[in-house]
Amino acid sequence: MLLAQLSLNALILGAAYALVAIGFVLILNATGAVNFAQGDLVMVGGFCGVGLAGYLPVSGLVLLPLVAVIMGLLGMAIALCAYFPLSRRPPEAMLISTIAVGIILQNGANLLFGPDAKAPPALLGNGDWRVGGLVLSQQGMAVLLVAILLVGSLQLVFSKTQLGRRLRATAQDRDVASALGIPVNTMIAATFGVGVALSGIAGLLLTHTFFVTPTDGGNYMLKAYIAVVLGGWGSLPGAVAGALLIAFFEVIFPSLPVVAPFLANVPGASEMFTQTASTIVFDCLVLVVLLFRPQGLFGEAMQVRP
Amino acid sequence: MRSILSLSILLSLGTATSSQAADAFVPVLVPVTGFLAVEGASQRDGALLALTNPPAGVKVRYDVSDTGTSPEVAVNAFARATGDGTAIAVVAPMLGTQMLALLPVALENKLPLLTISGTAAITQKGNPYVFRFFPDDATTKSAQVRFAIEQKHIKKPAIISQTDAYGQSGGAEIAKLLKQAGVEPAYQESVDVSVKDMSPIIAKAKAAGVDSLLLHLHGGSTALIVKAVAAAGLDWTIVSGSAISQPATVELLDPADLKGVCGETGSSPISAETPEIATFLADYTAKFKHAPDAFSLAQFDATSMLLKAMADGAKTPEDVTKALSSGKFKGLGMTYYSDGKGNMAHSAVVICYDGKSRIPAVAQHYDAPTP
Repeated sequence: MLLAQLSLNALILGAAYALVAIGFVLILNATGAVNFAQGDLVMVGGFCGVGLAGYLPVSGLVLLPLVAVIMGLLGMAIALCAYFPLSRRPPEAMLISTIAVGIILQNGANLLFGPDAKAPPALLGNGDWRVGGLVLSQQGMAVLLVAILLVGSLQLVFSKTQLGRRLRATAQDRDVASALGIPVNTMIAATFGVGVALSGIAGLLLTHTFFVTPTDGGNYMLKAYIAVVLGGWGSLPGAVAGALLIAFFEVIFPSLPVVAPFLANVPGASEMFTQTASTIVFDCLVLVVLLFRPQGLFGEAMQVRP
Repeated sequence: MRSILSLSILLSLGTATSSQAADAFVPVLVPVTGFLAVEGASQRDGALLALTNPPAGVKVRYDVSDTGTSPEVAVNAFARATGDGTAIAVVAPMLGTQMLALLPVALENKLPLLTISGTAAITQKGNPYVFRFFPDDATTKSAQVRFAIEQKHIKKPAIISQTDAYGQSGGAEIAKLLKQAGVEPAYQESVDVSVKDMSPIIAKAKAAGVDSLLLHLHGGSTALIVKAVAAAGLDWTIVSGSAISQPATVELLDPADLKGVCGETGSSPISAETPEIATFLADYTAKFKHAPDAFSLAQFDATSMLLKAMADGAKTPEDVTKALSSGKFKGLGMTYYSDGKGNMAHSAVVICYDGKSRIPAVAQHYDAPTP
């Protein structure tokens, strides 16, 4: 039962991480550049919920579409200010511009909301449901449901709609897409909008339970980056898998001596199965995976023709 | 690079300067960005409340600089602020690593540093220019452990501390004090500030059969673990570090989550134990639109002792150093005096929440005998 409870907690955490990682991959695929502000955009999503709740005392579920729209517009603004002017420059220019965006967002949040941790309203409520010994928190279940709906909707949009096909074509080859009459810049701006909206939603989902401060972005960025590297650079299913792996490792690995009591008798178990050690072990595992599968778990092996 | 750029932006935005160049100058160097921003803002506001209300006859000029999180930014801020030679004393950052970097510079410039940093090492270097107005770990952790054992009768505690220098020193102090008291911790864990899900810690503590948690965590982690324990319906005794006394931490929790939770701190201005502290609470809240914490009060008292020394005739940094190292000052939080090493605060309190409000009551005072 404990394992089931911990797995559920990890699934909820991983679902929110997956939204961050998907937003990261969408922008990566559309522009070919890493958006280093992605973590800070999660933080902005959390603060967006906090700010809106000050004017609209409603549940997080009502705020969610508003946060998505505001963050989507912010994403398009970032595309206009930090991507398009540099799109013909080397990738390093985009990298620096997104770092600058992150710094602006971080300090902007500090100026507007102060350095204190804050929490937006819960999506449904703070109560629990108890099912056969499992504690299902209303917030956790709402997070899981919203994340599944969003990932499913994205999958539908990308695979079944003309917009999705255009977005995918732009991501695959901008020049060819442009030659075919696809409005490439509009597609890129839309991708920024969707990617940033996903990060903002993830921020709203995560920060009711885990709070938000202006400096939280770096941590989310790191998780998204590792999820994408582990899952496969540019792969959407890989990003989801990577995010879930991170969450499961964070929650399950330190609890292993409780889940499997024989491990508690292993020499050094009390040092090995700690939160700190779990980070070290996880990063070592990422290195091992990359050693044997440099393309990541779901990535396609590619080689540049000389 | 990121933090340097970030600090550059804030340094240019976030300074406040009074105008009278001929008056005594007190630079306020505090971390108001980065992971210690909440505590740094409290330190800044405590200093500013004192500096804007100096005793009659004292004219003082001040300037606030953000020291961020890195030692070099603090040293550069110190150099900028004291470069013209008019500073009489410096309100120095509460971040221990920054204080350690500032010690040799203060010694070279013969300028007293008034800080609320808890890092033990800063007063162990034999530097005559450092004055710490917040009780160190030895004082506060002693209060925490004594309260847990003597008042809450804990038998099988878990020690949960942060992985950083702050957490390691406090966690080690708790472990040492428990050992001295003959109490064996049933479980110990260090947590990084980025850890969000506390369920593994709760599961392991439960499996170890603990009856209490002794926490030494920053505000966010403290709130997460208190919330997780409440959500799990566990009736463990929780005696926390000072983070649980900070209004910003308590705001993250429902009053019901806090029922029975206690914590050590230097003082608890929000509890308004005395009429003087009630006045401080009202003035501070009116000026800064948020409630003060122990750091605000400690830095207010520190700056007030400096201003009192100036009112009593201290005109140079050497005069101030002499007054701080040999004088005694009855502040709002406690009576301050140097132990010969620059440790000025020798008292701590333990506060507890009743589960109905976010305002704690002072449950116990732990005062060292005043010489």
